[in-house]
Amino acid sequence: MHFTGQETINVPMQAVWDFFMDPHRVAECAPGFQSMEVLAPDHFKPKVGVGIGAIKATFTLDVMLENLRAPDHAEVKGHGVAAGSAVDFNGRMDLTSESEHVTRMDWVADVNVSGGIASVGGRLLESTARKLTAKFFANMRENLQKHSSPAKE
Amino acid sequence: MTQHVQVTLNGKPFQADVEDRLLLVHFIREVANLTGTHIGCDTTSCGACTVLVNGVPAKSCTLLAAQVDGAEIQTVEGLEQDGKLHPIQEGFYEEHGLQCGFCTPGMMLVGKALLEQNPNPTEAEVRHAISGNLCRCTGYVNIVKAIQYAGKKMSAPAPEPVEVK
Amino acid sequence: MATDLHAFGKSVKRREDPRFIRGKGTYIDDIKLPGMIYMDIVRSPYAHAKILKIDASKALALPGVLAVITGKDLDAYKLAWMPTLMSDTQMVLPIDRVVYQSQEVAAVIATERYIAADAVALVEVEYEPLPPVVDPYKALEPDAPLVRPDHADKKTNHIWHWESGDKARTDQLFNEAEVVVKEHMYLPRIHVSSIETCGCVASFDKVNGKLTVWMTTQAPHAIRTVFSLVTAASAVGQIPEHKIRIISPDIGGGFGGKVPVYPGYVIATAASVLTGLPVKWIEDRSENLQADSFARDYHMDVELAGKRDGTITAMRVKTLADHGSADAAANPSKFPAGLFNVCTGSYQIQAAHIEVDGVYTNKPPGGVAYRCSFRVTEAVHAIERIVDRMAQELKMDPAELRLKNFIPPDKFPYKSATGWEYDSGNYPAALKLAMEKIGYADLRKEQAEKRARGELMGIGISTFTEIVGAGPSHTFDILGIKMFDSAEIRVHPTGSAIVRIGVQTQGQGHETTFAQIVAEELGLPVDNITVEHGDTDTAPYGLGTYASRSTPTAGAATAMAARKIREKAKLIAAHLLEASPDDIEWVDYKFQVKGAPGRSKTMADVAFAAYTNHPQGMEAGLEAVDYYDPPNLTFPFGAYICVVDIDRGTGAVKIRRFVAVDDCGNIINPMIVDGQIHGGLTMGMAPALLEGIFYDENGNIQQGTFMDYLLPTSMETPAWETDKTCTPSPHHPLGAKGVGESATVGAPPAIANAVVDALSHLGVTHLDIPITPWKVYEILQAHGLTEV
Repeated sequence: MHFTGQETINVPMQAVWDFFMDPHRVAECAPGFQSMEVLAPDHFKPKVGVGIGAIKATFTLDVMLENLRAPDHAEVKGHGVAAGSAVDFNGRMDLTSESEHVTRMDWVADVNVSGGIASVGGRLLESTARKLTAKFFANMRENLQKHSSPAKE
Repeated sequence: MTQHVQVTLNGKPFQADVEDRLLLVHFIREVANLTGTHIGCDTTSCGACTVLVNGVPAKSCTLLAAQVDGAEIQTVEGLEQDGKLHPIQEGFYEEHGLQCGFCTPGMMLVGKALLEQNPNPTEAEVRHAISGNLCRCTGYVNIVKAIQYAGKKMSAPAPEPVEVK
Repeated sequence: MATDLHAFGKSVKRREDPRFIRGKGTYIDDIKLPGMIYMDIVRSPYAHAKILKIDASKALALPGVLAVITGKDLDAYKLAWMPTLMSDTQMVLPIDRVVYQSQEVAAVIATERYIAADAVALVEVEYEPLPPVVDPYKALEPDAPLVRPDHADKKTNHIWHWESGDKARTDQLFNEAEVVVKEHMYLPRIHVSSIETCGCVASFDKVNGKLTVWMTTQAPHAIRTVFSLVTAASAVGQIPEHKIRIISPDIGGGFGGKVPVYPGYVIATAASVLTGLPVKWIEDRSENLQADSFARDYHMDVELAGKRDGTITAMRVKTLADHGSADAAANPSKFPAGLFNVCTGSYQIQAAHIEVDGVYTNKPPGGVAYRCSFRVTEAVHAIERIVDRMAQELKMDPAELRLKNFIPPDKFPYKSATGWEYDSGNYPAALKLAMEKIGYADLRKEQAEKRARGELMGIGISTFTEIVGAGPSHTFDILGIKMFDSAEIRVHPTGSAIVRIGVQTQGQGHETTFAQIVAEELGLPVDNITVEHGDTDTAPYGLGTYASRSTPTAGAATAMAARKIREKAKLIAAHLLEASPDDIEWVDYKFQVKGAPGRSKTMADVAFAAYTNHPQGMEAGLEAVDYYDPPNLTFPFGAYICVVDIDRGTGAVKIRRFVAVDDCGNIINPMIVDGQIHGGLTMGMAPALLEGIFYDENGNIQQGTFMDYLLPTSMETPAWETDKTCTPSPHHPLGAKGVGESATVGAPPAIANAVVDALSHLGVTHLDIPITPWKVYEILQAHGLTEV
């Protein structure tokens, strides 16, 4: 599955960058997040529970950040397994300052799902992924609002 | 975690301590040792596991044994009474309503439950009643006839038992 | 009294039923042995991947888990790979790479079923995904990843090329043709899905060295021989055949899906040999759908050449056969494409040229597991669809086109353009009966009226010739074992008998029909005859039941064995009647002295005498064995007509009526034959309208459970109407032909033809099955014909 998106966030670009560089803050915003092992500043193993249709699975992900160019470009690569299912993904994010307190984030992700989740949940996969992504960004906005200095509405 | 499950199974009391996650179909097949109830799928789609719970057809693969504590369960083994076949069993024999026999117990119990509500069902009503039970062998034609045969038998004044050799 | 003994041709009620209607069948999962342990399988989520690591530590730490077996463990015994029935190889468990989604990767052995399942979730496998090969055409491109790098001599995914017919003559006829029609036809992968899944209980007795395996198998003897040969090639040490016993207990449907040797059987057997404990393995439905043998997956380019007057002259077919990750189709060894070249069908076609290419993809292996008679479903679909296409092109009625081109009844035995000798047939009679029964002429009138009002109704015909009863030893073998079959009959002193056969019922009623054959031949009451099969310790060697072969082969063997008994019985009767054997005739189920009907002896009299008063110099007893090598295949046939109405609001196709006229020669039990036809028609409708297995670009199966793989229920299945004609087989001892798969072969094109017929005025010339409502709806939408 190939996803692209553009988010407009009402905080300065540095705040967005700081958010993405803090795995704990990112993890908190991920729907289904359960726990995480941090191996290095750019290497973490979160455990995430996902439900698609009739199947629920707990994925142990192995995520690496790559090609970091503060404060506006980052890439992520990862792979995860659950009982009977597997996921491989890579993604890219570019930040642009639209103004002092408004940042535009352009992102691209490729996600390949294999196994039970894909076979049984196949028809629901894309819509569920979009829902989870939307939830993540909503959570992210809330998190940024809490942590950053208040932005003009 | 164990549960104590007490049921009336084919008219007789039966009880056992079981894991809380034990499926009713395994309770019947492995704990009560009645293997006439079969497993054909893992998505509640095929109906091979159908039993009657308090007279109502239920897919025993999608119930926990613990959920039927206190209930009356009838399986295929409970159809024959005192050496006499139930009319539904006669119907399947007379009308060639089975080939490999794997879906048959579930089909017969659904048929029996239907006939107890509706002793003279039309073909459409029978087909609707068994629509949750899959059969790969018969193409359903003779299953419909078997159930209608049993209906007539059950409504008849003094049913003569058929000799099934 | 004599009428009581007439058993052949009667709808005798089934001897199997008493136990099934009481829930007292013995299917694999019903078998419980003391000390039995359970096996469950860890499966790959990826269609193609390297295995980097298997960590079973968490699984092994679970109380009740006895072992976790991997490919490396089996490899130490040289059991990681096994031969397939087509002399390819297949992994039992992989050592370092998986080649289909849901492939077996490791096996867990535990004391209880639920513990084994828990442990499967605890085995951690690290994979490196590889690009999967999913599209068979892409699989043949030069840069395609290799599915089978273990075939070091092969640098492509191409498995084999097979040709049949006369290319030069076919090309010439096509060049001369006044009309040529061509269609690309795809028959998608489907899965047989018997309601009982596959499994086994393997029990190795360490004390006496005997291996007993109860198995869902349609061919227990072949399995026994293969197991012995596999152990011989392994480091386990050969288990000789007399120390192997394969038992097919009651089997909940086979249809070809229980012929292949699945890795689960081999692993469970290995586990039992190593532990000395009985090991049970039974699949879930998802495992069954996702990993077991499939059928179809044929991409066919079909062409027909002819004259403007409707004479068909030649046929050309080029097929790409997607075989998944191993060639494990259960075909006779000389026929990698099965009997596909019977595709000239019921017509006098002068020449044909057929090419089939097999290709590897990252999908489960298989090919003929869905009631298909070795690819005859594919062959009949090709010819019956293209004949309708030709009728459409010539603006000729499809019944008329068929009648014009049928092989006439007086031309049998008929040698087809691809070399098959059809034994007997009367196609016009069957089609005319079907047309009369369905009211064909009136239906065409109705269709014209409805079309004028914008209502969509279609009529589809399929006149198929089947080819069954494999087969004569000069041509047919499976892994070198010739495809004879066998029967052994022993008559007891008090006039009853036991017959043991080499074939194996999975619902076809052999315990009844074979008793009927013996009853008829020997003049004994049907109730006095026991039929046994499925236990390799006692049944004579046979090749099993599939491809509708039981009646043609073992049925013949049974008749022949019975006739051998009758020959000996005649001598005993002569002795009892104090007459010369030349003066004894078999009349009305009795041995009678010619010209003196009052002087007779029944078979029961003779049986008693065989043990108490046999002639001096003759062996006592009354028994015989026959291994029957059929002189030819048999050719059942039929004419099916289907009427459909299309819902313009949903695109749904409703079968209004379906008339099936079948001819399977002489019929042993009409009730059982009709049951086979009802079931076969339903398994023909299924791929036509409901079933199809498709993979996404990552090799994920999209129909991995019954939620998405839709078997027909009682709601979709129409009330099938059946009738018969009878054209006996001239070479079969009973004149019988076999019928188990005819309906699954003949029905899909009848339905597809009906839907195309309903839409042909819109320019539709072909639709691939399954014809789902969405497929039809898109066409209606494109023509502005949808109705809300």
